[in-house]
Amino acid sequence: MLTSRTFLKRTRAGAVRKIVREHYLRDDIGCGLGGCALCGGESRPALEARPGGAASSLCPGPHFLLPDTNLLLHQIDILEDPVITNVIILQTVLQEVRNRSAPVYKRIKDVINKQEKHFYSFTNEHHKDTYIEQEKGENSNDRNDRAIRVAVKWYSEHLQKLQMEEKVQIILLTNDRKNKEKAVEEGITAYTCEEYIKSLIANPELVDRLASLNDEGNEIETGRIIFAEHLPLSKLQQGIKSNLYLQGTFRANRENYLEATVWIHGDGEEKEIIIQGLRNLNRAVHEDIVAVELLPKAAWAAPSSVVLHDDENQNEDDVEQEEEKEKSLRTSSSNSMLRPTGRVVGIIKRNWRPFCGMLSKSQIKEARRHLFTPADRRIPRIRIETRQASTLEGQRIIVAIDGWPRNSRYPNGHFVKNLGAAGDKETETEVLLLEHDVPHQPFSQSVLSFLPKMPWSITDQDMKCREDLRHLCVCSVDPPGCTDIDDALHCRVLENGNLEVGVHIADVSHFIRPGNALDQESAKRGTTVYLCEKRIDMVPELLSSNLCSLRSNVDRLAFSCIWEMNHSAEILKTRFTKSVINSKASLTYAEAQMKIDSPSMNDDITTSLRGLNKLARILKKCRIDNGALTLSSPEVRFHMDSETHDPIDLQTKELKETNSMVEEFMLLANISVAQKIYDEFSEHALLRKHPAPPPSNYDILVKAAKSKGLEIKTDSAKALADSLDSAEFPSFPYLNTLLRILATRCMMQAVYFCSGMDNDFHHYGLASPIYTHFTSPIRRYADIIVHRLLAVAIGADCTYPDLTDKHKLADLCRNLNYRHKMAQYAQRASVAFHTQLFFKSKGVVNEEAYILFVRKNAIVVLIPKYGLEGTVFFEEKDKPKPTLLYNDEVPSLTVESTTFYTFDRVTVNIMLDASNVQHQKIRMALVEPKLVGTSVPSQATQLNSNNEPKKKKLKE
Amino acid sequence: MAGLELLSEQGFRLDGRRAGELRQLRARMGVFAQADGSAYLEQGNTKALAVVYGPHELRGSRGKAPHAQALVNCQYSMATFSTAERKRRPHGDRASAEMSLHLKQTFEAALLTRLFPRSQIDIYVQILQADGGNYCAAVNAATLALLDAGIPMRDYVCACSAGFLEDTALADLNYVEEAAGGPQLALALLPQAQHIALLELNARLHQDHLPRVLDAATQACRHLHALLDRVVREHLRDAAALLGK
Amino acid sequence: MAAVEMRLPVARKRLAQGLPRGAGEGDRDLVAPGDTITTDPGYMRGHGTYMDNEKLVASVAGVVERVNKLVCVKALKTRYNGEVGDIVVGRITEVQQKRWKVETNSRLDSVLLLSSMNLPGGELRRRSAEDELAMRDYLQEGDLISAEVQAVFSDGAVSLHTRSLKYGKLGQGVLVQVSPSLVKRQKTHFHDLPCGASVILGNNGFTWIYPTPEQKDEEAGGFITNLEPVPLPDREVISRLRNCILALVAQKLMLYDTSILYCYEASLPHQIKDLLKPEVMEEIVLQTRQRLLELEG
Repeated sequence: MLTSRTFLKRTRAGAVRKIVREHYLRDDIGCGLGGCALCGGESRPALEARPGGAASSLCPGPHFLLPDTNLLLHQIDILEDPVITNVIILQTVLQEVRNRSAPVYKRIKDVINKQEKHFYSFTNEHHKDTYIEQEKGENSNDRNDRAIRVAVKWYSEHLQKLQMEEKVQIILLTNDRKNKEKAVEEGITAYTCEEYIKSLIANPELVDRLASLNDEGNEIETGRIIFAEHLPLSKLQQGIKSNLYLQGTFRANRENYLEATVWIHGDGEEKEIIIQGLRNLNRAVHEDIVAVELLPKAAWAAPSSVVLHDDENQNEDDVEQEEEKEKSLRTSSSNSMLRPTGRVVGIIKRNWRPFCGMLSKSQIKEARRHLFTPADRRIPRIRIETRQASTLEGQRIIVAIDGWPRNSRYPNGHFVKNLGAAGDKETETEVLLLEHDVPHQPFSQSVLSFLPKMPWSITDQDMKCREDLRHLCVCSVDPPGCTDIDDALHCRVLENGNLEVGVHIADVSHFIRPGNALDQESAKRGTTVYLCEKRIDMVPELLSSNLCSLRSNVDRLAFSCIWEMNHSAEILKTRFTKSVINSKASLTYAEAQMKIDSPSMNDDITTSLRGLNKLARILKKCRIDNGALTLSSPEVRFHMDSETHDPIDLQTKELKETNSMVEEFMLLANISVAQKIYDEFSEHALLRKHPAPPPSNYDILVKAAKSKGLEIKTDSAKALADSLDSAEFPSFPYLNTLLRILATRCMMQAVYFCSGMDNDFHHYGLASPIYTHFTSPIRRYADIIVHRLLAVAIGADCTYPDLTDKHKLADLCRNLNYRHKMAQYAQRASVAFHTQLFFKSKGVVNEEAYILFVRKNAIVVLIPKYGLEGTVFFEEKDKPKPTLLYNDEVPSLTVESTTFYTFDRVTVNIMLDASNVQHQKIRMALVEPKLVGTSVPSQATQLNSNNEPKKKKLKE
Repeated sequence: MAGLELLSEQGFRLDGRRAGELRQLRARMGVFAQADGSAYLEQGNTKALAVVYGPHELRGSRGKAPHAQALVNCQYSMATFSTAERKRRPHGDRASAEMSLHLKQTFEAALLTRLFPRSQIDIYVQILQADGGNYCAAVNAATLALLDAGIPMRDYVCACSAGFLEDTALADLNYVEEAAGGPQLALALLPQAQHIALLELNARLHQDHLPRVLDAATQACRHLHALLDRVVREHLRDAAALLGK
Repeated sequence: MAAVEMRLPVARKRLAQGLPRGAGEGDRDLVAPGDTITTDPGYMRGHGTYMDNEKLVASVAGVVERVNKLVCVKALKTRYNGEVGDIVVGRITEVQQKRWKVETNSRLDSVLLLSSMNLPGGELRRRSAEDELAMRDYLQEGDLISAEVQAVFSDGAVSLHTRSLKYGKLGQGVLVQVSPSLVKRQKTHFHDLPCGASVILGNNGFTWIYPTPEQKDEEAGGFITNLEPVPLPDREVISRLRNCILALVAQKLMLYDTSILYCYEASLPHQIKDLLKPEVMEEIVLQTRQRLLELEG
């Protein structure tokens, strides 16, 4: 098997070292061709013996394609197209791609794994006939090109030897002119990608997806160079080492396209550098890792508070105008506000991904170059070339950036995919899922194959290590319309007079076994995402709404946490067990509340509920006495039209006592489980923590309260909770809620973590020293892991390797935290979209609102009726600027003669601003108190529709 | 940039081997005339030289010597030029001392020491070039040297390392694979009786994976045994032919 | 500039190449540790084997030898296994109360009792305490002796005697250590070679080359060393013999008077120092081998 070996010498930075590595050349690497007589039967031939492929006018016969590295890097979109099949990817190419672009590498790997694509990766570097050594004077790129050509030659000779009745060709695809010339010299059929794609007879639309690469020809065309050249990586690294340059993540400003910050992280200190002006931004795109050079202090600028958007109708490449704007940025800054300012000198790593957005069609008819406006404002517009502009207009499309030449105002890109018409609910949902990176494809067949077979029933095997709790009077309490019921409760009086309380959680980990495709998919999704009219499940529906859902009157597997308590809710005993339950009733919060409240009802369920309710009250009191916070955030619910699924009404969620009853026991279960798994696995328990916020976070809350004459103490959670409780204002009952909303904004994000990787476990909001998530395994993956840990801890299930690997667990936590955050954002975006739909149908309304924050040139208001938050601006483009006076201390804003304080009551006018199809938004304007110039009359009048959009999207 | 891909999708390792394949093995017995037994062995780029003296009268203090069997004295050392970075390794280097101890344990299990009371067997191994699997190369070289010296032992001692990477067990790790930091298992096996002379695991590995890694290492040891046996028989045949037997 | 001889590394030659070898014929008898020799319980376990679950297993690499029901495996190269009557050459390592410890390439040091030694002058009497005190005068650490094996103990240690005038302390000469298995057992191991020097081919592989003494009787059994300088021609002969023996050993040819003599004669065309070159070694040993075959043939 081992035929020969050669030595590779390598030198590394610093001391020059000679490193000798073995390199075995083999004779058992197959060509990947189905039924190849020379290589022996490959177990799973990747290439078709008679390659189908798309018909091409250049090479009418059957053929295999063999792309080189650059082609793969730039034209991956083409290769992913189902039309392109039977492609050979060389190991040389694959390795180069891997070193140069991780995302492309991942994509090509996915393609190779798709059987119907017939891609084969040929390990040419270890094949005895295709390995070549680097020659003297040859650089590694040339060597690799030669290796590719040698492999192509080998293939064509190999195919000839096979003597198939029909001659099969090997075609080298390369965009490198020199390489192509050399290949043709050596008798290899080689085409550029463009030539080949254009020759495809049946698929002209593929041409659009070709990445536009600037050839030398293009540069002459528009000779004006706008940007300074990026320095090569080696120079950047040198510069960074010598502190000449700083490395950081580029973050474009959402509000001002000519400004960005670079977040420098590393070496302990974190700081931000402001970059202003098109030239200084120097083609960096949001999220890129860049190197910046600090400007001299004299050129430092202050972060501008101006909102500036790239004009739709602006003439391309009109740079002078840009400069004007840049100047306007400067003038507004005062000396004390100056921040370190720099300019981008080079890009260390691009972080381009495909972007969602819309096409802005060029005014010139028949033009093929158009600008594309991404949905994310932080991404610059992208120039693409397409012949389908008219069909793509008004559609949401996906575009990938290919490059950004020095002479171009915008980056060049190519069209990838059409999502559908803008404004369409389906399309918009798709967009927001894509933009928030929510995996939402239907579950694949391999995932579904791990589902239990229907009809499913509980077997004796399942009953092992399980307690039969079917006799207990268990019931579930959930919001109306809930189909994924993952918790149920019971309470009964024991013979010794104590109470037994049980929390029964769906035993999802019974169905999702570690390591299989179903488990991996769930782990990837991390959480179920609830959008307004749609639910993106974490686990397939069969589990989420049927087998795992603890519905009434069916036997279900559960994981139970059972306490023995006395009547003052002190826990005497805790035990955990896997069980089988049979829920006696699935109630809604309202139904449960009704049962508790109506004195005539005395059945088992009701007594059980009453017992639970009584205990919950005590528990809640204890918790609050311990310093747990009761915070508030306005949550809205849409009433959907059952036919069109359009929102017809909007209301804030109402909380009943039963909500808090269920919540209390869930918290208790989570805490008990957290303690148990931490005791058992001190190094790899998956826990959830909520760090205490830094005191400065509370400034805004304290100041706001002060303006109303109230004092908020923030030294501890307990103090905060107490002062919030006492902050009552008899004439203004909603104030307390407002304060709580504000307090919520001061909090840190709660996160999952692995106990072995951290030492601060405290959950600030719940005032619990330890906490985890155990109670919703149907919709959160973290709970599944916790279930598995607990199952191992009580000996009900066996452990598996990844469960006890704290690094893997930490990685998992990172993914879960990311998914949860993204799910939250997606949820908010969905609410925002539906709010827009709602107001679209509703027209213009006036509503009562409270000021949440006072900003320099605006106020942020909350409309309690809809739980809707919006910004009211006082400056408008076409109108004279009102005099604004902002006082940072109070804070307050004086507009003309009216002064606004936090928590002031105002009336606002709400309407949908549809002037921008891509960014529709809710517009709010002040109605009361009346202001000269800015307030709109209480009767809504037609607003100037070509207003510069200034309002913040409903976010935060 | 992404780290090294130790095992490609196609199932090849960095140097072109498949997961279960060994590196090329070359060995020679009887490389020194003055020693009782000696051997030189290459496992890929790992090169080891082993020399055996004995059994001979006990030297040094007799206090710690076992009464009814031979004392096995092992010394492992690495040449200054054996690693990429030249490094002086004074005697009593901790890693070497540990390795010496491991060798001692390994060979005490394999040698028929009871045949030689009051005597001592010295095994000296030096690594000339280190490219992963130093312990294994040392054991294999020492086995050949012991055979060369004609010292009775139960069986060959074949040692091979195995690692674990993304659900696959890799046999006979080279330096790059070792340096990647995954769990690594070193197994010294008496292949015909399937007795384990020494088993060492240098990082945490889940119990569920252990059988697979152990299996890979065992399989590798078996292959090594076949290779070593070939070397030994070749050597024997030559010597026997020369002696005219 | 003086010419410097340079040697370039070349691939190692297989020693046995070119030698006639029955294809696989000897393989059956070659075993390595762990190989099962027989499962027949009727055989007796000999050296180089051990019993493992009723099976007779080899413990060394070597040739299987069957003597009736006794099965042994003889390793090609081992330390010296003493047998009564063997002639050995050894070196004193320790002087003890009534005995000397002698290093004889055996697994344990051999013993030479004060009582099993002829006293200087050939006196035959009981050893007294004075004799014990004077032991170091007779033989001290580092001295070489020739002796005969008197007895072998159960643990393999050997007891020597020098109760003949042939044996005793060795004076001027050269010691060559070879593998014991290369020394052919013969009637006598003391040879006065016609080339002008003598050799003692110890069964333990220690070979002593020394100038042929002029008067035998006087010297024998003595403990007084003749320290007169050895003439140059004698020294040259001794050196040449030494190198010849090394050549024979390198090519694994058995050592006995004839083989040494033939090799010596074959080496005469070469300079003494050249005899250490592998190609010369090969050449002279090949010649020797052929002459020996002719002699037998």
